[in-house]
Amino acid sequence: MSAAAPDVVGPDGGAGLPLSRRLGRALRARVRNGDLIRWLGRAGAVIPTLALAFILGTLIVKAWPAIRVNGWHFFTGSAFNEGSFYGATVKTNGIAHPPGVSYGALPEIVGTLETSAIALLIAVPVSIGAALVIVERLPRRLAVVVGMFLEMLAGIPSVIIGLWGGFTFGPFIANHIAPFIASHVPNVPGLDFLRGPTGSGQGLLTSGLILAIMIIPIIAATARDLIRQVPLLPREGAVALGMSDWECARRVTLPWVGSGIVGASVLGLGRALGETIAVAMVCGINLTTVATNLYGAMTTIAATIVTQLDGAFQDATGFALSSFAELGLVLMVITLLVNVAARLLVRRVSGTALPVGRGL
Amino acid sequence: MFPLFGAWQTAYNKTVTNVNITTAGTGSGTGIADAAAGVVTMGGSDAYLSSAEMAQNHNLLNIPLAVSAAMISYNLPGVKANLKFNGTVLAKIYSGKITTWNDPAIKALNPGVALPSTKIVTLHRSDSSGTTFIFVSYLSAQDPTDWPVGQVGTTVSWPSAPGALAELGNGGMVSGCAATKGCIAYIGTSYLTQTTAAHLGEGELANKAGKFELPTPASIQAALASFSGSTPANETQSLINTSAPTGYGIINYEYVIVNKKQSSAAVASALKAFLNWTLTTGSTATFLAPVNFQPLPASVKALSQTQISSISG
Repeated sequence: MSAAAPDVVGPDGGAGLPLSRRLGRALRARVRNGDLIRWLGRAGAVIPTLALAFILGTLIVKAWPAIRVNGWHFFTGSAFNEGSFYGATVKTNGIAHPPGVSYGALPEIVGTLETSAIALLIAVPVSIGAALVIVERLPRRLAVVVGMFLEMLAGIPSVIIGLWGGFTFGPFIANHIAPFIASHVPNVPGLDFLRGPTGSGQGLLTSGLILAIMIIPIIAATARDLIRQVPLLPREGAVALGMSDWECARRVTLPWVGSGIVGASVLGLGRALGETIAVAMVCGINLTTVATNLYGAMTTIAATIVTQLDGAFQDATGFALSSFAELGLVLMVITLLVNVAARLLVRRVSGTALPVGRGL
Repeated sequence: MFPLFGAWQTAYNKTVTNVNITTAGTGSGTGIADAAAGVVTMGGSDAYLSSAEMAQNHNLLNIPLAVSAAMISYNLPGVKANLKFNGTVLAKIYSGKITTWNDPAIKALNPGVALPSTKIVTLHRSDSSGTTFIFVSYLSAQDPTDWPVGQVGTTVSWPSAPGALAELGNGGMVSGCAATKGCIAYIGTSYLTQTTAAHLGEGELANKAGKFELPTPASIQAALASFSGSTPANETQSLINTSAPTGYGIINYEYVIVNKKQSSAAVASALKAFLNWTLTTGSTATFLAPVNFQPLPASVKALSQTQISSISG
């Protein structure tokens, strides 16, 4: 064999060479003509899809017995009762479960949506405001420092936020914020939700605020980077036309990045819907009722799963685990629906932007 | 169970160098599931296996290694005396029917004690817990009307009492109660040092005879004596609501859950040696006193040893 072995495989297909050398050559050829990258790319595109399909499939298979027994009661009932593990096993539709089971996930589902809604309601305006101020108002050096803190806030582990929420923030809300709001809201029918018993600091308001704190850095950091991308020219034009800062932000900057901000908000919402341990530590784990007002103890799907899973293992019939799989499935469907809705919203938002916002 | 296992592990690994035991502080349910699946060699639990679990996993054994109790703690700085409770009053407190400390029902049990009008904040475990199981077992044994049998389990669908707090673990119960004036909580007696340090009150509990007792070594032993004679061969037994007049109402066997069929003869014999050690050297005051556990009575210890000897490879 010659020292300068040809890279191109000869007419004999390189049959005379040892197998390792032949494979090496074939590989080099593939890398050079781009086949390898193409296949890696295809695999990369397929794997996430397969993973999602696999997780959904597993959840559906595991949840199937629970779906058949629980029926629609799962979406309308409020008690989350695993039944008596020490009683004699009974059967419904041929599926074994402990006596006295009653799985109604209404408090979990409503709680998940309520906490996420509160978090978004607070986080989106705060984040956009923070991003605008950082980009357009603060001196460059200060903006860098503030931006750094914003990113550090995103890096705080959720269990730390949960600890702080449980021991410091929650009691502060119970002792100061909740009584203040409850006593100052006028006694009109529509506002009953903001009045009444102010609770213990573990509940809807605390959970929503904790989630807001956790998603503000996600939305704000993305919004800041987006707003930086808005060209100077249209903004200068707006100022030249006599627009105030607020008008400039509202009519030029924000329409320009509108779809991006919706996308950032959806990222934040996804985090809020699925956040587990921080919420579990501040929500009060009320498995039986939907919170009657803003301060009541409640629970979310993720918090219920993480705190109650250990007990579910003690159900010898496996029905409790199956019901938890159903709960997980519901959370996943909610998250997927939110994503689809956000995509539709993005299309609308980017369609309605002012001409000036779509470039000159 | 976990802190004691940790102490046992450290001491045993020192004396028997060719066996290495590691402990994981998971909950009872995970411990049982892992023992059944053969992931771990031993699982710890405050609650015994249900008949359904036994039927599904014929090879699972629940073996008592020690005796523990649960106490009622409360945060009422002005009240120096030990308050008295019974199952009915506790069930009504936990279901939101009694909401203030000066409620007539509490006053009736505690004549002569000046009770404040402070609101009662009930604390319950947010995780699944053997302590929850023995506490609600006691409520139901004392008063099945106010606490139905269906509401007994390691996870309880708590009736919503206004302002109720959910806490993670015995430690969370202690710190939560310490931070909340007017709270009431049920906590494993292994946390007595912590509750005393946090200035929490300790409740006297009514037994079946209607006598009020604190969870002391003497009252736990008295309650134990009323049950240990009737402990069955598989050692599945509730020790709640003793009829002994000097006994304490909420005690339990601390179980280790093991699979009768181990992966090899070597693992089986190492496991048997360790479990027998926990019942002898491991049951001395050096190990049990720091967590306020009591050793098993001789008759139950013999039953545990018989169960241990049935483990094979």
